[in-house]
Amino acid sequence: MTPKTGMRTAFAATVLVVCVFLLGCPKRPGVTQAGGGAIGPSSAAEASSAAPTATPAAPRVPTASAPRVGETPVARPPLPAEARVQPSAAGVPAPTGSPLKDVFFEFDKSDIRDDQKAALNENVGWLKANVRAKISIEGHCDERGTPEYNLALGERRAKAVKEYVVGAGIVPDRIATISYGKERPFVLGHDESAWKWNRRGHFVISEK
Amino acid sequence: MRQRGGWARVVAALIVLAALVTTAWAQVIDRELRERVVQKITIALAGFGPFALNGEDLGKLGASVLAADLRFTTVFDVIDPTALPFEPRSVQFDQERPLFPGLNSLKIQYLALGQLSSRGREVILEARLFEVGSGNMVFGKRYVGDPKFFRLIVHRFADDIMFNLTGEKGVAQSRIAYVSALNRTAKEIFVMDYDGANPVAVTGNQSINLSPRWSPDGRLIAYTSYRNGNPDLFLLNFDSGRRDTLSAQRGLNASPGWSPDGQWLAFAMSAGGGTNLYLIPRAGGTPKALTVGPNISVSPSFSPSGNQIVFNSDRGGTPQIYVMDVDGTNLRRLTFRGNYNSSPRWSPRGEKIVFMCQLAGNQICLINPDGGGLQQLTTQGGNEDPAWSPDGRHIAFTSTRMGRRDIFVMHADGTEQTRLTFTGQDNYLPDWSP
Repeated sequence: MTPKTGMRTAFAATVLVVCVFLLGCPKRPGVTQAGGGAIGPSSAAEASSAAPTATPAAPRVPTASAPRVGETPVARPPLPAEARVQPSAAGVPAPTGSPLKDVFFEFDKSDIRDDQKAALNENVGWLKANVRAKISIEGHCDERGTPEYNLALGERRAKAVKEYVVGAGIVPDRIATISYGKERPFVLGHDESAWKWNRRGHFVISEK
Repeated sequence: MRQRGGWARVVAALIVLAALVTTAWAQVIDRELRERVVQKITIALAGFGPFALNGEDLGKLGASVLAADLRFTTVFDVIDPTALPFEPRSVQFDQERPLFPGLNSLKIQYLALGQLSSRGREVILEARLFEVGSGNMVFGKRYVGDPKFFRLIVHRFADDIMFNLTGEKGVAQSRIAYVSALNRTAKEIFVMDYDGANPVAVTGNQSINLSPRWSPDGRLIAYTSYRNGNPDLFLLNFDSGRRDTLSAQRGLNASPGWSPDGQWLAFAMSAGGGTNLYLIPRAGGTPKALTVGPNISVSPSFSPSGNQIVFNSDRGGTPQIYVMDVDGTNLRRLTFRGNYNSSPRWSPRGEKIVFMCQLAGNQICLINPDGGGLQQLTTQGGNEDPAWSPDGRHIAFTSTRMGRRDIFVMHADGTEQTRLTFTGQDNYLPDWSP
């Protein structure tokens, strides 16, 4: 291609583009525009997937009178309620005076801090002295981060505590774990003064 | 030769100039076209005259619910009633025709007319939609129901207007499930209308109930409950009222996500070392592992094609968003900004993923499935757990901007952030029904 034909091509392309824009520019929208379907495509697929409006799948109307021809009955079945069950005490902060101490964690961490090992060792001592006791270790998180991720983080904390206790010689059968994520904060508050108490492994005696 | 070269340069310059002018012009036209595409459909509401029932003017309520529904779509420009050249509430059926020229001159494209009456214990909304320019009636319907469904009746009219004029299914009849903390121990699952009206508890076990997720057909809600002392996965059937245990392995059975065909759920289990994602048939069965290892993988959300799953994992050291194929292969990390990205949800049309990002606090962000196009939607307070509306035009989320956690909604571009919940101690983990 010579520079000249290249230019000619470029010019032709420019003219073509101009023509396309001139021809392709539609009229401004008039208020009389039929259908009003200016917003988005209304493909057959979308239309068929949408709820049929003319002949609705009539939900049961909780009245005696049957719907008349040409009417659109509107009703909704009541939402199912759950029968009350006895509220579980699990996860509720234990009254003070428990012989077992909580252990605390760093944000988004499940490693056992060095400064927490003394408390854990005391708990291990108690378990060794009370050989028939069974415990549950609850993993808890502070309010930062999402509820679902925190469930998994709490689970990991509970397991890390269990691992430490088992490593210190307690049989695993005596220890259950459960995560409460950020659903059961020990201290209410929205800063580190509350958060540091809520990132915890909490010991509950389930059998003495 | 020199002269010829000079001439060629002049021509070249002219062509370049022409090309530049054309490009600039094309951009102007392009912008105009784009503006036209987002131009809203103008609609006026009339009728809904005074109709008292149990001390409430249902006419006034109906007009306000309909206006709110249509505005929320982002498709309609609902004309302020005081801007109309007539008193809208005094308009009766068959008096509308003389109003059209005046509406037309105000560039109002449609007129929605409603008239209320009663028959026995039922309330009737006679509803008509007119195209102002042609004077044609687009549709006319007679909605009949118990007065306790009055808002639903009006929502139905709004959705019918939306469908008739855009071919799109509206969300006015949709609902939002969420968790409401009633006190420090009881966290129950509630269902409310999409506009926050009519909140109703669907669990009552006074333990912790989390992560409600509507099935694609809207007949089931999957959720996690501590009612039996362990976070187990349940399916609540709205037709039968049954609650079936889907997974009750010791440890977590959490954060369910439905496949688009409604036949499978992906969810997180902590049986074993880490917390991993599993796939389980809706009818129950043996869960199949999608991820393995000592890390955390939670909050799965299927792509609308059903071929991919976006989820949250800390395998890279901090919680980040990952995508994998539905068989667990082709894993790739999507987010690299911020140290805490969480709770992703794939949009119903597939083009975006919404998630909680940590950019100056917890915020709601969008990202493309290829990892590009990161966009922050919120700035006020702490925000988390976003969920798409079924049409992908809106996002529900949790915000702490009013102190405690509450459910908010916004348009998918982050505009019009509106609070929906005002009761309970904390309201969070929203999920939008189909």
